Amino acid sequence: MDNVIYFIMIPMVYLSFGVFFFGTTVRLIRIFQGPKHPSTLQIYPQKKPAWLYALYDTFLFPTVRKHKPLLWVFLIIFHLCLLLLIIGHLELFSEIAIIQVIPHEVFLGAGYVGLFSLIALLYFLFRRFRSPVRELSVPEDYYLLILLFLIVIFGSQMDWARRWYGYSSIDVEHYRAYLSSLLYLKPELPAELSGMGHSFMLVIHVFLANLFLIFFPFSQTMHSFLALPINKLRRG
Amino acid sequence: MDPQTRDELLKLFGSKLNEAMRLYLETCTRCGVCTEACHVYASMGQTRYIAVHRAEVVRRIYKKYFKARGKIWPSVGEAKELNEAALQELNEAAYSCTGCRRCMVYCPFGIDTQMLMSIAKLLLIGAHAEPEILSLLADTSIEKGKSIELFKENFLEGIKRLEAEVVKKWRTEAGEAAIPIAVEGADLLYVALAGAHSIIPAAAGFNAAGEKWTLSFFEAVNFGAFVGDPTKTKLILERIVDEAKRLKVKEVCICECGTAYRVMKQLSGKQPFKVSSITEVHARYLREGRIKVDKTKFKGPVTYHDPCQIARNGGVIDAPRYILSHLTDDYRESAPDARYNWCCGGGGGLVALGEDTLDFRMKSAKVKVDQVKSTGAAILATACENCHTQLSNLNDHYKMEVDVLFLSSMVADALVR
Repeated sequence: MDNVIYFIMIPMVYLSFGVFFFGTTVRLIRIFQGPKHPSTLQIYPQKKPAWLYALYDTFLFPTVRKHKPLLWVFLIIFHLCLLLLIIGHLELFSEIAIIQVIPHEVFLGAGYVGLFSLIALLYFLFRRFRSPVRELSVPEDYYLLILLFLIVIFGSQMDWARRWYGYSSIDVEHYRAYLSSLLYLKPELPAELSGMGHSFMLVIHVFLANLFLIFFPFSQTMHSFLALPINKLRRG
Repeated sequence: MDPQTRDELLKLFGSKLNEAMRLYLETCTRCGVCTEACHVYASMGQTRYIAVHRAEVVRRIYKKYFKARGKIWPSVGEAKELNEAALQELNEAAYSCTGCRRCMVYCPFGIDTQMLMSIAKLLLIGAHAEPEILSLLADTSIEKGKSIELFKENFLEGIKRLEAEVVKKWRTEAGEAAIPIAVEGADLLYVALAGAHSIIPAAAGFNAAGEKWTLSFFEAVNFGAFVGDPTKTKLILERIVDEAKRLKVKEVCICECGTAYRVMKQLSGKQPFKVSSITEVHARYLREGRIKVDKTKFKGPVTYHDPCQIARNGGVIDAPRYILSHLTDDYRESAPDARYNWCCGGGGGLVALGEDTLDFRMKSAKVKVDQVKSTGAAILATACENCHTQLSNLNDHYKMEVDVLFLSSMVADALVR
């Protein structure tokens, strides 16, 4: 079992990041090296500056707000939470002074960020069970939502255990030792993170996150990188 | 389908994969926000008419043959083989889509379903499964461009017969041609459709404005674009570009034809002339005081149908409203935002397919009928041949009891000195 845990926590993490970075880069190059379309693809009336409106469309989803307001609320919640979770994970590498302008215990959001993400993910999942979105969905859409839900719930419960239940067998310093060792290519797995107790939740979290990273470049999650350029086409 | 045919079709598919097309193929999350965007779905309520459903018909073939996971794990994205059944699906998707791009206004990413349907149409051409009539019409246009001398005499005779009608609307100075043709150095080249209704009112307007204009030998409509053949689209377009260059005109004015205007405006590239629609030209004449119209000519409330290729996809939104503000005091908008005006249901070649598509066109444009009725208008103006035909068909079918009029005809009929 130790070998499996070691594989998930170290070689598989490198492998997953490798697939993520290499796969995403290759896919982006493939897309953007194609010839430009010979004519404009915009929708009128035109609003200028187009790039600013493209940013607005990309980050605030105004068309969703207009046509599916409830979905928009959950989309905004989810994407904001995602941003906070990314910041939180960066803080697990080392303390970031600029983020500590708002003094907080890692993660930001006192545990509620994970909770809100889960609620949003459940909403996204259940709306796919209803017609007509059900007929429009493909297995990938469900798999990704289920995978994200599991990643967030296993990750969040570690945060909740520490904050809400005082279960502090793993603290931030253990994560920092582990993650910075990965970053500096001197991988170490502290004993606190590799046991069969509560820390096994972390192993599952890392395993699922690895799967997500491997699947990322080949899935619809590429919209994270493509939303801005595609919206720019519409804005002209 | 034999492997060789499939390979050839996949080559055609590959030829469409530019940057924009790949973005449209890769980005969709199937969120369903576009559900209510399509007039066909809104009128008929069948899932296959939702924009993303149409897009997926093309996207699933893309996943199968152009993405690694189509080979490793095809079921995860429901990747599909390109076979006879797929061609049937492509046909249904492409020829029930009018290319109005209303779904782009809804989509959080702005995915262009018309672009994706252009792949479907190209594959159908490759498989010789496209609507034959559209290809025939495109070929005829190209042939006319190649051998203009054969058509010239008949055309000139026909135009001569129309001049008296033009003079009835606006008397020209003695010795001046009511419909000048092949005038080198004219300021404006007018490209009409094959039909007196497209030439007479426009000619009267140009003459009233004192425009130095000339009529094109070619008709504006681009059947190559309807059938989705990029080579034919370009050949048909180039006939007009070459003529404009030969005559050294400063402006090419396209008649009331949405596709012709958009193709000319957006695909002709950088040229020594500008491209305008007849609607823009009429608005300019009114603004500059070069023509005057009688506001009492038309009785009853007036509404305007924005042709998709001219308004949402071409940017001509204010000009028709400006013209109508000179023709009526009772103008009624059919949608608070022109981007949301429903498609008439006749674009994308559907009207050109005539009776074959009539039943579908009537069923699929019910929302347009409701929109027009809600205005209480007695006159429904528009600025596109296809839209005019479709709206007239809807008028008869649903007994809308409106007069469907071309905007250019309204201007010509209301001209005053």
